[in-house]
Amino acid sequence: METKKSSNYLDKVHRIGRIGSIVSVAFMLGIPAVICTIFDIWPSFSEIVAGVTPLLAIFLPVAISEVFSYTPILGTSSYIAFITGNIMNLKLPVAINAMQIVDATQGTESGDAISAVAVSFSSIITMLIIALGTVMLLPLEPLLSNPNVTIATQYMLPALFGGLFIPQLLNKNAGEYRIEGKNKLLAVPVILVLAVHFFVTSIVGKEGIIMLIAIPVTILIAYILYKKGIVKMVSRVETKKE
Amino acid sequence: MSTMSVWNSTILYALVIAALLTVVIICAVTMKTAWKRCIELGYTKNQLMAVVKSTSVTTVLPSIAIIIGLFSLAPAIGIPWSWFRLSVIGSVMYELMAAEVSATSVGYESVAAVNAAGDISVIGTMMFSMSIGIIGGIIINIFAGKKIQNGLVTYRSDKGEWGALLMACFSIAMSAVFLPSQFLKGAAATATLLTSSLLAVILLSIQKKYNVKWIGEFLLAICLIVGMVSSVFWHNIFI
Repeated sequence: METKKSSNYLDKVHRIGRIGSIVSVAFMLGIPAVICTIFDIWPSFSEIVAGVTPLLAIFLPVAISEVFSYTPILGTSSYIAFITGNIMNLKLPVAINAMQIVDATQGTESGDAISAVAVSFSSIITMLIIALGTVMLLPLEPLLSNPNVTIATQYMLPALFGGLFIPQLLNKNAGEYRIEGKNKLLAVPVILVLAVHFFVTSIVGKEGIIMLIAIPVTILIAYILYKKGIVKMVSRVETKKE
Repeated sequence: MSTMSVWNSTILYALVIAALLTVVIICAVTMKTAWKRCIELGYTKNQLMAVVKSTSVTTVLPSIAIIIGLFSLAPAIGIPWSWFRLSVIGSVMYELMAAEVSATSVGYESVAAVNAAGDISVIGTMMFSMSIGIIGGIIINIFAGKKIQNGLVTYRSDKGEWGALLMACFSIAMSAVFLPSQFLKGAAATATLLTSSLLAVILLSIQKKYNVKWIGEFLLAICLIVGMVSSVFWHNIFI
Protein backbone atom coordinates (compact mmCIF):
# COMPACT_ATOMS: atom_id res chain seq x y z
CA MET A 1 0.00 0.00 0.00
CA GLU A 2 2.83 2.39 0.96
CA THR A 3 4.74 1.52 -2.22
CA LYS A 4 1.61 2.28 -4.27
CA LYS A 5 1.15 5.62 -2.45
CA SER A 6 4.80 6.41 -3.04
CA SER A 7 4.52 5.58 -6.71
CA ASN A 8 1.30 7.66 -7.00
CA TYR A 9 2.95 10.69 -5.39
CA LEU A 10 6.07 10.60 -7.54
CA ASP A 11 4.08 10.01 -10.73
CA LYS A 12 1.76 12.89 -9.83
CA VAL A 13 4.57 15.34 -9.11
CA HIS A 14 6.41 14.37 -12.28
CA ARG A 15 3.17 14.90 -14.22
CA ILE A 16 2.59 18.33 -12.65
CA GLY A 17 6.22 19.25 -13.33
CA ARG A 18 6.11 18.19 -16.97
CA ILE A 19 2.81 19.97 -17.61
CA GLY A 20 4.13 23.08 -15.85
CA SER A 21 7.31 22.97 -17.93
CA ILE A 22 5.35 22.66 -21.20
CA VAL A 23 3.06 25.54 -20.18
CA SER A 24 6.09 27.70 -19.28
CA VAL A 25 7.75 26.98 -22.64
CA ALA A 26 4.44 27.87 -24.33
CA PHE A 27 4.45 31.26 -22.57
CA MET A 28 8.14 31.87 -23.32
CA LEU A 29 7.48 31.40 -27.02
CA GLY A 30 3.86 32.50 -27.07
CA ILE A 31 4.41 35.96 -25.62
CA PRO A 32 6.93 36.93 -28.36
CA ALA A 33 4.57 35.42 -30.95
CA VAL A 34 1.63 37.55 -29.77
CA ILE A 35 3.76 40.72 -29.64
CA CYS A 36 5.12 40.04 -33.13
CA THR A 37 1.57 39.52 -34.45
CA ILE A 38 0.13 42.65 -32.83
CA PHE A 39 2.98 44.95 -33.86
CA ASP A 40 3.66 43.15 -37.16
CA ILE A 41 7.32 42.55 -36.30
CA TRP A 42 7.71 38.85 -37.09
CA PRO A 43 11.41 38.02 -37.66
CA SER A 44 12.54 35.70 -40.44
CA PHE A 45 13.77 32.20 -39.60
CA SER A 46 17.35 33.17 -40.49
CA GLU A 47 17.20 36.18 -38.16
CA ILE A 48 16.08 33.96 -35.26
CA VAL A 49 18.83 31.44 -36.06
CA ALA A 50 21.43 34.24 -36.14
CA GLY A 51 20.25 35.48 -32.74
CA VAL A 52 19.87 32.09 -31.08
CA THR A 53 22.99 30.29 -32.31
CA PRO A 54 25.62 32.13 -30.20
CA LEU A 55 23.43 31.81 -27.10
CA LEU A 56 22.78 28.09 -27.58
CA ALA A 57 26.49 27.50 -28.22
CA ILE A 58 27.24 28.84 -24.75
CA PHE A 59 24.19 27.86 -22.75
CA LEU A 60 23.05 24.51 -24.15
CA PRO A 61 26.10 22.65 -22.70
CA VAL A 62 25.44 24.44 -19.40
CA ALA A 63 21.77 23.38 -19.53
CA ILE A 64 22.68 19.72 -20.17
CA SER A 65 25.21 19.71 -17.34
CA GLU A 66 22.76 21.36 -14.94
CA VAL A 67 20.07 18.76 -15.61
CA PHE A 68 22.45 15.87 -14.89
CA SER A 69 24.18 17.61 -11.96
CA TYR A 70 21.24 19.19 -10.15
CA THR A 71 18.35 16.80 -10.77
CA PRO A 72 19.82 14.10 -8.45
CA ILE A 73 19.88 16.68 -5.63
CA LEU A 74 16.61 18.49 -6.42
CA GLY A 75 14.54 15.46 -7.38
CA THR A 76 11.04 16.33 -8.58
CA SER A 77 11.52 19.96 -7.53
CA SER A 78 13.90 20.26 -10.50
CA TYR A 79 10.91 21.11 -12.72
CA ILE A 80 10.00 24.18 -10.64
CA ALA A 81 13.71 25.01 -10.27
CA PHE A 82 14.30 24.98 -14.03
CA ILE A 83 11.11 26.94 -14.71
CA THR A 84 11.87 29.73 -12.24
CA GLY A 85 15.67 29.75 -12.56
CA ASN A 86 18.25 31.04 -10.11
CA ILE A 87 19.10 27.41 -9.32
CA MET A 88 22.64 27.75 -8.01
CA ASN A 89 22.03 30.81 -5.82
CA LEU A 90 18.53 30.04 -4.59
CA LYS A 91 16.82 26.74 -5.40
CA LEU A 92 19.68 24.37 -4.58
CA PRO A 93 20.44 26.12 -1.26
CA VAL A 94 16.80 26.07 -0.09
CA ALA A 95 16.42 22.40 -1.10
CA ILE A 96 19.60 21.35 0.73
CA ASN A 97 18.71 23.57 3.70
CA ALA A 98 15.23 22.01 3.97
CA MET A 99 16.65 18.48 4.00
CA GLN A 100 19.20 19.50 6.65
CA ILE A 101 16.50 21.03 8.91
CA VAL A 102 14.41 17.84 9.00
CA ASP A 103 17.38 15.47 8.60
CA ALA A 104 15.99 13.99 5.39
CA THR A 105 18.19 12.31 2.80
CA GLN A 106 18.72 13.11 -0.85
CA GLY A 107 17.53 10.40 -3.18
CA THR A 108 14.67 9.31 -0.91
CA GLU A 109 11.02 10.18 -1.20
CA SER A 110 11.03 12.09 2.08
CA GLY A 111 13.99 14.19 0.90
CA ASP A 112 12.25 14.75 -2.41
CA ALA A 113 8.96 15.84 -0.84
CA ILE A 114 10.51 18.28 1.64
CA SER A 115 12.71 19.77 -1.14
CA ALA A 116 9.60 20.23 -3.27
CA VAL A 117 7.88 22.15 -0.44
CA ALA A 118 10.91 24.41 0.00
CA VAL A 119 11.62 25.04 -3.70
CA SER A 120 7.96 25.72 -4.57
CA PHE A 121 7.53 28.08 -1.62
CA SER A 122 10.79 29.86 -2.39
CA SER A 123 9.69 30.33 -6.01
CA ILE A 124 6.38 31.87 -4.91
CA ILE A 125 8.14 34.22 -2.47
CA THR A 126 10.67 35.27 -5.12
CA MET A 127 7.97 36.01 -7.67
CA LEU A 128 6.01 38.05 -5.11
CA ILE A 129 9.12 40.04 -4.14
CA ILE A 130 10.02 40.71 -7.78
CA ALA A 131 6.41 41.77 -8.46
CA LEU A 132 6.58 44.14 -5.48
CA GLY A 133 9.94 45.41 -6.69
CA THR A 134 8.52 46.04 -10.15
CA VAL A 135 5.62 48.06 -8.71
CA MET A 136 7.94 50.01 -6.43
CA LEU A 137 10.75 50.40 -8.98
CA LEU A 138 10.93 54.18 -8.73
CA PRO A 139 10.75 54.67 -4.94
CA LEU A 140 13.12 51.72 -4.34
CA GLU A 141 15.78 52.87 -6.77
CA PRO A 142 17.71 55.20 -4.41
CA LEU A 143 17.94 52.48 -1.75
CA LEU A 144 18.86 49.66 -4.11
CA SER A 145 21.34 51.85 -5.98
CA ASN A 146 23.20 52.57 -2.75
CA PRO A 147 26.87 51.60 -3.32
CA ASN A 148 27.04 49.43 -0.19
CA VAL A 149 23.93 47.49 -1.26
CA THR A 150 25.44 46.98 -4.71
CA ILE A 151 28.72 45.74 -3.19
CA ALA A 152 26.95 43.37 -0.80
CA THR A 153 24.92 41.75 -3.58
CA GLN A 154 28.13 41.09 -5.55
CA TYR A 155 29.27 38.83 -2.69
CA MET A 156 26.01 37.01 -2.17
CA LEU A 157 27.34 33.65 -3.39
CA PRO A 158 30.39 33.39 -1.06
CA ALA A 159 28.19 34.54 1.85
CA LEU A 160 25.57 31.92 0.94
CA PHE A 161 27.95 29.03 0.34
CA GLY A 162 29.72 29.43 3.68
CA GLY A 163 26.44 28.93 5.51
CA LEU A 164 25.31 26.16 3.17
CA PHE A 165 28.30 23.90 2.59
CA ILE A 166 30.02 23.99 5.97
CA PRO A 167 27.05 22.40 7.83
CA GLN A 168 26.78 19.91 4.98
CA LEU A 169 30.44 18.94 5.23
CA LEU A 170 30.26 18.67 9.03
CA ASN A 171 27.14 16.49 8.87
CA LYS A 172 28.09 12.86 8.31
CA ASN A 173 24.52 11.58 8.07
CA ALA A 174 23.39 9.86 4.87
CA GLY A 175 19.90 8.54 5.61
CA GLU A 176 20.16 5.39 7.68
CA TYR A 177 23.97 5.57 7.66
CA ARG A 178 26.76 7.79 8.89
CA ILE A 179 29.73 8.31 6.58
CA GLU A 180 32.99 7.95 8.53
CA GLY A 181 35.85 9.63 6.64
CA LYS A 182 33.41 11.66 4.51
CA ASN A 183 35.64 14.67 4.03
CA LYS A 184 38.47 12.50 2.65
CA LEU A 185 36.33 12.30 -0.48
CA LEU A 186 36.88 16.01 -1.12
CA ALA A 187 40.63 15.98 -1.66
CA VAL A 188 40.90 14.57 -5.20
CA PRO A 189 37.91 16.46 -6.70
CA VAL A 190 39.17 19.76 -5.24
CA ILE A 191 42.69 19.16 -6.61
CA LEU A 192 41.18 18.27 -10.00
CA VAL A 193 38.97 21.40 -10.01
CA LEU A 194 41.95 23.61 -9.17
CA ALA A 195 44.08 21.86 -11.84
CA VAL A 196 41.38 22.55 -14.44
CA HIS A 197 41.27 26.18 -13.33
CA PHE A 198 45.01 26.80 -13.44
CA PHE A 199 45.98 24.61 -16.43
CA VAL A 200 42.93 24.39 -18.69
CA THR A 201 40.33 27.12 -18.22
CA SER A 202 38.87 29.29 -15.48
CA ILE A 203 36.11 27.47 -13.61
CA VAL A 204 34.49 30.69 -12.39
CA GLY A 205 31.13 30.97 -14.13
CA LYS A 206 31.43 27.42 -15.51
CA GLU A 207 30.61 25.56 -12.29
CA GLY A 208 27.67 23.73 -13.90
CA ILE A 209 29.92 22.22 -16.58
CA ILE A 210 32.76 21.41 -14.16
CA MET A 211 30.23 19.46 -12.06
CA LEU A 212 29.99 16.96 -14.94
CA ILE A 213 33.66 16.10 -14.30
CA ALA A 214 33.58 16.42 -10.51
CA ILE A 215 30.61 14.05 -10.01
CA PRO A 216 32.07 10.92 -11.68
CA VAL A 217 35.49 11.62 -10.13
CA THR A 218 33.94 11.89 -6.66
CA ILE A 219 31.95 8.68 -7.22
CA LEU A 220 35.09 6.84 -8.40
CA ILE A 221 37.13 8.04 -5.40
CA ALA A 222 34.24 7.14 -3.06
CA TYR A 223 34.10 3.61 -4.53
CA ILE A 224 37.85 3.09 -4.14
CA LEU A 225 37.98 4.45 -0.57
CA TYR A 226 34.84 2.51 0.40
CA LYS A 227 36.24 -0.76 -0.93
CA LYS A 228 39.56 -0.13 0.86
CA GLY A 229 37.69 0.58 4.12
CA ILE A 230 39.04 4.12 4.39
CA VAL A 231 35.49 5.49 4.09
CA LYS A 232 33.01 3.48 6.14
CA MET A 233 29.21 3.46 6.21
CA VAL A 234 28.05 3.01 9.81
CA SER A 235 24.42 2.20 10.55
CA ARG A 236 22.70 4.88 12.61
CA VAL A 237 20.67 3.96 15.71
CA GLU A 238 17.48 5.91 14.85
CA THR A 239 15.11 4.77 12.13
CA LYS A 240 15.00 7.36 9.35
CA LYS A 241 11.93 8.24 7.31
CA GLU A 242 11.89 6.48 3.88
CA MET B 1 6.49 54.25 -32.66
CA SER B 2 9.48 53.95 -30.28
CA THR B 3 10.97 50.64 -29.11
CA MET B 4 10.00 51.46 -25.51
CA SER B 5 6.34 51.81 -26.54
CA VAL B 6 6.52 48.13 -27.58
CA TRP B 7 8.73 46.98 -24.67
CA ASN B 8 6.40 48.75 -22.16
CA SER B 9 3.12 48.12 -23.99
CA THR B 10 -0.06 47.31 -22.05
CA ILE B 11 -0.52 44.06 -23.97
CA LEU B 12 2.95 42.88 -22.93
CA TYR B 13 2.18 43.70 -19.30
CA ALA B 14 -1.08 41.71 -19.57
CA LEU B 15 0.64 38.69 -21.15
CA VAL B 16 3.44 38.71 -18.57
CA ILE B 17 1.02 38.98 -15.64
CA ALA B 18 -1.02 36.06 -17.04
CA ALA B 19 2.14 33.97 -17.46
CA LEU B 20 3.45 34.72 -13.98
CA LEU B 21 0.09 33.98 -12.35
CA THR B 22 0.12 30.62 -14.13
CA VAL B 23 3.62 29.84 -12.85
CA VAL B 24 2.56 30.79 -9.31
CA ILE B 25 -0.39 28.36 -9.61
CA ILE B 26 1.97 25.59 -10.81
CA CYS B 27 4.25 26.25 -7.81
CA ALA B 28 1.27 26.28 -5.41
CA VAL B 29 -0.11 22.98 -6.77
CA THR B 30 3.33 21.36 -6.47
CA MET B 31 3.75 22.66 -2.95
CA LYS B 32 0.31 21.45 -1.86
CA THR B 33 0.94 17.97 -3.30
CA ALA B 34 4.38 17.74 -1.67
CA TRP B 35 3.07 19.09 1.66
CA LYS B 36 0.34 16.46 1.76
CA ARG B 37 2.90 13.73 1.04
CA CYS B 38 5.20 15.06 3.77
CA ILE B 39 2.37 14.71 6.32
CA GLU B 40 1.69 11.15 5.08
CA LEU B 41 5.38 10.33 5.48
CA GLY B 42 5.24 11.41 9.12
CA TYR B 43 6.60 14.97 9.10
CA THR B 44 4.90 17.14 11.73
CA LYS B 45 3.34 20.52 10.95
CA ASN B 46 6.03 22.09 13.17
CA GLN B 47 8.77 20.59 11.02
CA LEU B 48 7.11 21.81 7.83
CA MET B 49 6.60 25.30 9.27
CA ALA B 50 10.27 25.34 10.32
CA VAL B 51 11.20 24.65 6.68
CA VAL B 52 8.78 27.33 5.47
CA LYS B 53 10.15 29.94 7.91
CA SER B 54 13.75 29.19 7.06
CA THR B 55 13.02 29.17 3.33
CA SER B 56 11.26 32.57 3.56
CA VAL B 57 14.17 34.26 5.29
CA THR B 58 16.76 32.60 3.05
CA THR B 59 14.87 33.60 -0.11
CA VAL B 60 14.47 37.31 0.62
CA LEU B 61 18.05 38.53 0.08
CA PRO B 62 18.72 36.71 -3.21
CA SER B 63 15.32 37.98 -4.44
CA ILE B 64 16.33 41.56 -3.64
CA ALA B 65 19.49 40.95 -5.67
CA ILE B 66 17.23 39.99 -8.60
CA ILE B 67 15.31 43.27 -8.25
CA ILE B 68 18.62 45.14 -8.49
CA GLY B 69 19.11 43.26 -11.75
CA LEU B 70 15.75 44.60 -12.88
CA PHE B 71 17.16 48.14 -12.68
CA SER B 72 19.88 47.18 -15.17
CA LEU B 73 17.57 45.34 -17.52
CA ALA B 74 14.48 47.58 -17.58
CA PRO B 75 16.11 50.59 -19.31
CA ALA B 76 17.22 48.23 -22.11
CA ILE B 77 14.22 45.97 -22.68
CA GLY B 78 11.42 47.62 -20.74
CA ILE B 79 9.81 46.64 -17.44
CA PRO B 80 7.36 43.81 -18.28
CA TRP B 81 9.75 41.70 -20.38
CA SER B 82 12.54 42.20 -17.78
CA TRP B 83 10.10 41.22 -15.02
CA PHE B 84 9.12 38.08 -16.92
CA ARG B 85 12.67 37.10 -17.84
CA LEU B 86 13.96 37.45 -14.28
CA SER B 87 11.00 35.52 -12.81
CA VAL B 88 11.00 32.65 -15.33
CA ILE B 89 14.25 30.77 -15.98
CA GLY B 90 16.53 33.74 -16.48
CA SER B 91 19.30 35.26 -14.42
CA VAL B 92 20.48 38.85 -14.68
CA MET B 93 23.79 37.87 -16.24
CA TYR B 94 22.15 35.74 -18.93
CA GLU B 95 19.41 38.24 -19.79
CA LEU B 96 21.81 41.19 -20.19
CA MET B 97 24.11 39.06 -22.32
CA ALA B 98 21.24 37.57 -24.35
CA ALA B 99 19.78 41.01 -25.06
CA GLU B 100 23.15 42.33 -26.26
CA VAL B 101 23.94 39.24 -28.38
CA SER B 102 20.53 39.31 -30.05
CA ALA B 103 20.90 43.05 -30.78
CA THR B 104 24.31 42.51 -32.41
CA SER B 105 22.96 39.57 -34.42
CA VAL B 106 20.64 41.97 -36.27
CA GLY B 107 23.40 44.43 -37.05
CA TYR B 108 23.35 46.84 -34.10
CA GLU B 109 26.22 47.52 -31.68
CA SER B 110 24.06 47.09 -28.62
CA VAL B 111 20.52 47.16 -27.23
CA ALA B 112 21.02 50.85 -26.53
CA ALA B 113 21.75 51.37 -30.23
CA VAL B 114 18.50 49.57 -31.14
CA ASN B 115 16.55 51.83 -28.81
CA ALA B 116 18.34 54.97 -30.05
CA ALA B 117 17.48 54.02 -33.64
CA GLY B 118 13.86 53.32 -32.65
CA ASP B 119 13.89 50.13 -34.77
CA ILE B 120 10.95 48.08 -33.48
CA SER B 121 11.35 45.47 -36.24
CA VAL B 122 14.18 43.70 -34.35
CA ILE B 123 12.27 43.34 -31.07
CA GLY B 124 10.72 40.06 -32.24
CA THR B 125 14.17 38.60 -32.96
CA MET B 126 15.42 39.72 -29.58
CA MET B 127 12.46 38.25 -27.67
CA PHE B 128 12.64 34.89 -29.47
CA SER B 129 16.43 34.71 -29.12
CA MET B 130 16.34 35.45 -25.40
CA SER B 131 13.67 32.77 -24.88
CA ILE B 132 15.05 29.99 -27.10
CA GLY B 133 18.65 30.50 -25.91
CA ILE B 134 17.86 29.49 -22.33
CA ILE B 135 15.09 26.97 -22.89
CA GLY B 136 17.37 23.92 -23.12
CA GLY B 137 17.30 23.03 -19.42
CA ILE B 138 13.50 22.91 -19.16
CA ILE B 139 13.11 20.82 -22.31
CA ILE B 140 15.84 18.32 -21.44
CA ASN B 141 14.39 17.99 -17.94
CA ILE B 142 10.93 17.17 -19.35
CA PHE B 143 12.42 14.10 -21.07
CA ALA B 144 15.28 13.15 -18.78
CA GLY B 145 14.27 14.32 -15.28
CA LYS B 146 12.06 11.38 -14.32
CA LYS B 147 14.48 8.79 -15.74
CA ILE B 148 17.43 10.31 -13.88
CA GLN B 149 15.57 10.50 -10.60
CA ASN B 150 13.93 7.06 -10.78
CA GLY B 151 17.21 5.49 -11.81
CA LEU B 152 19.06 6.97 -8.85
CA VAL B 153 16.29 6.22 -6.30
CA THR B 154 16.13 2.58 -7.44
CA TYR B 155 19.92 2.25 -7.43
CA ARG B 156 20.12 3.73 -3.93
CA SER B 157 17.50 1.42 -2.46
CA ASP B 158 18.99 -1.67 -4.18
CA LYS B 159 22.62 -1.05 -3.26
CA GLY B 160 22.35 -0.39 0.48
CA GLU B 161 25.52 1.19 1.89
CA TRP B 162 27.08 1.89 -1.51
CA GLY B 163 23.80 3.40 -2.81
CA ALA B 164 23.65 5.84 0.12
CA LEU B 165 27.31 6.79 -0.37
CA LEU B 166 26.75 7.31 -4.10
CA MET B 167 23.89 9.75 -3.45
CA ALA B 168 26.05 11.67 -0.99
CA CYS B 169 28.69 12.06 -3.73
CA PHE B 170 26.53 14.57 -5.62
CA SER B 171 26.50 17.11 -2.80
CA ILE B 172 30.17 16.40 -1.98
CA ALA B 173 31.00 17.14 -5.64
CA MET B 174 29.04 20.39 -5.35
CA SER B 175 31.16 21.44 -2.36
CA ALA B 176 34.32 20.47 -4.28
CA VAL B 177 33.34 22.76 -7.19
CA PHE B 178 31.49 25.69 -5.63
CA LEU B 179 33.73 26.34 -2.63
CA PRO B 180 37.00 26.63 -4.60
CA SER B 181 35.26 28.76 -7.23
CA GLN B 182 34.48 31.34 -4.56
CA PHE B 183 38.08 31.32 -3.26
CA LEU B 184 39.25 31.91 -6.82
CA LYS B 185 37.21 35.11 -7.11
CA GLY B 186 39.71 37.05 -5.02
CA ALA B 187 40.56 38.15 -1.49
CA ALA B 188 37.27 39.89 -0.70
CA ALA B 189 35.20 36.89 -1.83
CA THR B 190 37.49 34.55 0.13
CA ALA B 191 37.20 36.66 3.28
CA THR B 192 33.40 36.77 2.90
CA LEU B 193 33.25 33.00 2.48
CA LEU B 194 35.50 32.46 5.51
CA THR B 195 33.40 34.87 7.62
CA SER B 196 30.19 33.05 6.69
CA SER B 197 31.84 29.64 7.24
CA LEU B 198 33.26 30.58 10.65
CA LEU B 199 29.88 31.89 11.74
CA ALA B 200 28.29 28.60 10.61
CA VAL B 201 30.77 26.62 12.72
CA ILE B 202 30.12 28.86 15.76
CA LEU B 203 26.34 28.62 15.39
CA LEU B 204 26.46 24.83 14.97
CA SER B 205 28.60 24.56 18.12
CA ILE B 206 26.11 26.66 20.08
CA GLN B 207 23.22 24.61 18.70
CA LYS B 208 24.86 21.35 19.73
CA LYS B 209 26.09 22.51 23.14
CA TYR B 210 22.93 24.29 24.29
CA ASN B 211 20.39 22.36 22.21
CA VAL B 212 19.08 25.57 20.59
CA LYS B 213 16.78 24.16 17.90
CA TRP B 214 15.86 27.43 16.14
CA ILE B 215 19.48 27.95 15.08
CA GLY B 216 19.12 25.12 12.56
CA GLU B 217 16.15 26.85 10.93
CA PHE B 218 17.84 30.22 10.54
CA LEU B 219 21.52 29.32 10.26
CA LEU B 220 21.69 29.76 6.50
CA ALA B 221 19.86 33.09 6.58
CA ILE B 222 22.02 34.44 9.43
CA CYS B 223 25.25 33.42 7.65
CA LEU B 224 23.99 34.97 4.40
CA ILE B 225 23.08 38.31 5.99
CA VAL B 226 26.21 38.60 8.17
CA GLY B 227 28.38 37.41 5.27
CA MET B 228 26.95 40.03 2.91
CA VAL B 229 27.30 42.81 5.51
CA SER B 230 30.92 41.74 6.15
CA SER B 231 31.60 41.76 2.40
CA VAL B 232 31.29 45.57 2.33
CA PHE B 233 34.06 45.74 4.94
CA TRP B 234 36.25 43.19 3.12
CA HIS B 235 35.65 44.85 -0.26
CA ASN B 236 36.81 48.21 1.11
CA ILE B 237 39.94 46.60 2.56
CA PHE B 238 41.00 44.48 -0.39
CA ILE B 239 39.69 46.30 -3.47
